[in-house]
Amino acid sequence: MQFETIGPVGILLGVIARFWPVWIALAIVLAVGFRLRKRLGIYGRLHDDWAGLSGLMICFFWLFTAIFASIVAPFEPLQQIAIMKDAPPGAIDPDTGAVFLLGADRLARDVFSRMVFGSQIVLLIAPAATLFALIVGTMLGLPAGYHGGRIDGVLSFLANLVLAFPVILLFYLLVTPGVSETPIPQVLAGLFLVFPVMFFATLVSTRYSGQPKLLAPLLLATLVIGAWFYAGLVFNVDPLGLISLAPNELNIFVAVVFASSPGVFRIVRGLTMEIRTRDYVAAAQTRGEGPWYIMLWEILPNARGPLIVDACLRVGYTTILLGTLGYFGLGLAPESPDWGTAIKESSRLLRAHIHPALPPVIALMSFVLGLNLLADAIREQALKD
Amino acid sequence: MTVAVPEPLLEIEDLSISFFTRAGEVQVVRDFSTTIMPGEIMGIVGESGSGKSTLALGIMRGLPSGGRIVGGRLIFKGRDVISMRERELRQIRGKEIAMVYQEPMASLNPAMRIGKQLMEVPRVHERVSRQEAWERSLDMVRAVGLPDPERIMQTYPHQLSGGQQQRIVIAMALLSKPSLLILDEPTTALDATVEAGIIELIKDLSHRYGTAMLFVSHNLGLILEVCDRVAVMYSGEAVETGDVRDVFERMRHPYTQGLFRAIPRLTADKNAHPLIAIPGQQPAPRERPKGCNFGPRCPHFREGLCDAADIPMVAVDAANAHFSRCIRIGEIDWDAPPQAAAAHEPIAPGAPVLEVEDVRKYYQENGNGLLAGGTRVVKANEAISFDAREAETLAIVGESGSGKSTLAKMLVGLETATNGRIAYRRTEIQDTPVEERDRKTVAGIQMVFQNPFDTLNPTQPVGAQIVRTLEKFRIGRTAGERRDRMLKLLDLVKLPPSFANRKPRQLSGGQKQRVGIARAFAGNARLVVADEPVSTLDVSVQAAVTELLMDIQRSNRTTMLFISHDLSLVRYIADRVIVMYLGHIVEQGTTEQIFSPPYHPYTEALLSAVPLADPQATKRRIVLKGEIPSPVDPPSGCPFQTRCPYKQLVPDKLCERELPPFRDLGRGHRSLCWLGDDVLGEMRPVIE
Repeated sequence: MQFETIGPVGILLGVIARFWPVWIALAIVLAVGFRLRKRLGIYGRLHDDWAGLSGLMICFFWLFTAIFASIVAPFEPLQQIAIMKDAPPGAIDPDTGAVFLLGADRLARDVFSRMVFGSQIVLLIAPAATLFALIVGTMLGLPAGYHGGRIDGVLSFLANLVLAFPVILLFYLLVTPGVSETPIPQVLAGLFLVFPVMFFATLVSTRYSGQPKLLAPLLLATLVIGAWFYAGLVFNVDPLGLISLAPNELNIFVAVVFASSPGVFRIVRGLTMEIRTRDYVAAAQTRGEGPWYIMLWEILPNARGPLIVDACLRVGYTTILLGTLGYFGLGLAPESPDWGTAIKESSRLLRAHIHPALPPVIALMSFVLGLNLLADAIREQALKD
Repeated sequence: MTVAVPEPLLEIEDLSISFFTRAGEVQVVRDFSTTIMPGEIMGIVGESGSGKSTLALGIMRGLPSGGRIVGGRLIFKGRDVISMRERELRQIRGKEIAMVYQEPMASLNPAMRIGKQLMEVPRVHERVSRQEAWERSLDMVRAVGLPDPERIMQTYPHQLSGGQQQRIVIAMALLSKPSLLILDEPTTALDATVEAGIIELIKDLSHRYGTAMLFVSHNLGLILEVCDRVAVMYSGEAVETGDVRDVFERMRHPYTQGLFRAIPRLTADKNAHPLIAIPGQQPAPRERPKGCNFGPRCPHFREGLCDAADIPMVAVDAANAHFSRCIRIGEIDWDAPPQAAAAHEPIAPGAPVLEVEDVRKYYQENGNGLLAGGTRVVKANEAISFDAREAETLAIVGESGSGKSTLAKMLVGLETATNGRIAYRRTEIQDTPVEERDRKTVAGIQMVFQNPFDTLNPTQPVGAQIVRTLEKFRIGRTAGERRDRMLKLLDLVKLPPSFANRKPRQLSGGQKQRVGIARAFAGNARLVVADEPVSTLDVSVQAAVTELLMDIQRSNRTTMLFISHDLSLVRYIADRVIVMYLGHIVEQGTTEQIFSPPYHPYTEALLSAVPLADPQATKRRIVLKGEIPSPVDPPSGCPFQTRCPYKQLVPDKLCERELPPFRDLGRGHRSLCWLGDDVLGEMRPVIE
């Protein structure tokens, strides 16, 4: 079937125009960033350096795309217009006159809209899973590095065990139907989610232990919020209905946290061992601070530089991982618009039509590239201190 | 008939060096001129940031990236260094001009045997045979005074001590027979007695080989001992140059004079002659004032004169080539005594606050690796006994490995004692780590740390760190009360209240150290352990921080344990002194007793190792042989017997067999030594 198209220039202009809320948001962020760059510390200094600035802008671009997805995308991700099946980029729907900017896939869905909505899934799962891995790794790495001895021995052994296990096999195990129907993923998720609650509770209680009037409400708030997340994420019974995670999303989440946290653990452990020899740690000890206060308030803030860099790279890695998992048909549902699944779906018909595969590939590449540029720039700027 | 005028080896004329950063040009060295004659030792002295190291690197054109020579001339042996190509420079570097840096380990390849590294020099520069290179290297190792040269040649750098490594670096520099040797703070990383040995070696080598040297240091005493001529640098400029003795005896620049008044002398006492700090701090290269750089800190500053235009070098005494960058030379009365701060009454010490009795600290060290089984015991402290009374300053002196830091850790509770008794105000604390101590004891024993860049948490504002300490000690009931108290503490250490919101990186080293002092005194500490609190600070800042510490201590009647390796400072600050060596107290007594004969042989050597910045004083040279033994494998008998120059005066090899008794020499003066009264009675003062 022959479609009327708007031509390459039209496609380009059309795509750029669709992103209008993203451009506005980027312009605001850029303007504010430049205006305040002297006062924003390391974030401000990223503006001085081309690599850093482009990394920052790419990441922000995808963040805003995820936020404004419903404005940017002309169609719903699952909306099918049968006549447009396998339409090439720039094709015009003869019935409504709507333009399929990047064409349609074999199920007659708009590729552009699916890519835009895909960013929501990627930008939610990858950073969130990384954050959890970061907290789990930190909570285990701090005592291992600080106390050393037997604690370190046991924890390091466990971390090495996980690291030595082939990651892809691990994922297969965790997301294959046989395992994912058992309570294993839920138990693991329950275990991992204890760490953030513990983290924030310890953070608050060590800081305000001397001020019971302040401590009690803060601790209570932490525990209530923790319980809320816990109920929503692990048991999927959020009373407010705000937080929910589909079972296969939970599996992916668990798999990523499980595989990433040993790496974070090792970094945190090494940094802790180095920082604990500093005089300000000795000064805290000589005024009688407990070990957890020292770990969380004296050591962790000073380890943040390498951790932020690692987190950036890890978000990129997780994004690729989501793609890989999607490619193997593991993880998210086949109709999900996320980039990994989209690449897998379109790759089957690559010989016939290449256009449905390219947008998610480019999106994935650019996002990971942006994160890597950002991580490099942060590392560079941090070295200048 | 013509008199042969010797050609200068190196002529530097109006040399300016800048660094080009993204923020623009930063001028680090400005209009520096000097000449170095063959065989002469030229000294460059200045505080950190004065541009002295950049100057040293600039002479070899070895500036780091971004650094460039922007003006002036640099003539080495009649050749213009600035216009040389990279290939010509390579022939000069290492062969004609060699350099020795502060950190010896950074100059040695850790994966290569010493012998091979040394042989490389003649092999590369002169293409001699392996045999000859080996022989020359061996001779040089012998020449730098290392024992058993054949064995040293076979070792790797990490198997040598810091002093031995530095000797190897010097040997390597001299192997190519350079005509100019640049030494950039070559002894700063070394212990006092080891430093004395290296200084002796440098002077000896300069006589023997006739090598000209450029000696860069922050230590005025070292400069006086080593150099023939000196240039005093301040904020990128030479402010005074001339013959060393001439400059030291007739200072004609207010900065030079200020430096001298800010350093403690071995002859001065804290109550009679307080140190006079130079107010303010050295300006950063971009914040230099118009006219005289030293103007804002100068007591002789005249508006309209000193800040009118750039100040040129003015001849003080042209015949002696003594110049000063001060245009008021003729108007200032240079011999006028300084406006001295009021002398203090000596303080009468009160009841004992701390009693230490026969304390020992042994560490179990596991053998490295699987095969090197068995545990070794490191004896960090042995039979330590002393007491400290209220309002008293007790100095603990010792070199690295003497166990002084271990002792400090036991007092504040970071370690517990293996044996013995430590009583703080009659409570025994030797077995209680700091977590288990009651709040009063924790607040009562506080510590001031050595490294200002490490003492404050870089992520928290300064005020918050003090407030946290107050919280921990339950001082003040509300947040507001604690804040008020924190501002008072900042005021006590003479910092403005606006500093409370600053992060530590916005503070200079001296300011950070002041915050550290405020923190230590936050809980009304009765005993403050100060672990080398000023050793890393610049001279002019050192004086201010020392005075501050003593003022607070005096008004609070706090007991202070002042740990230091700097004997001039100890002489100045302490009421009583403990000298430690390899975990033992070898001598203790009042400052008077320690600094006058009879000495313990180690104390005597330590005193002799102090570089004196006083041209009038003379001292006896006692350079110790060898290195400080490792506490893992201490010598039998007396800990000092391996290096003691008096050993042969004790019969029957008693020193090697038995630990000497801790003899009382009268009025509380005690010494760990076998020497009889006849030998002790004949000891003469080290410094006269």
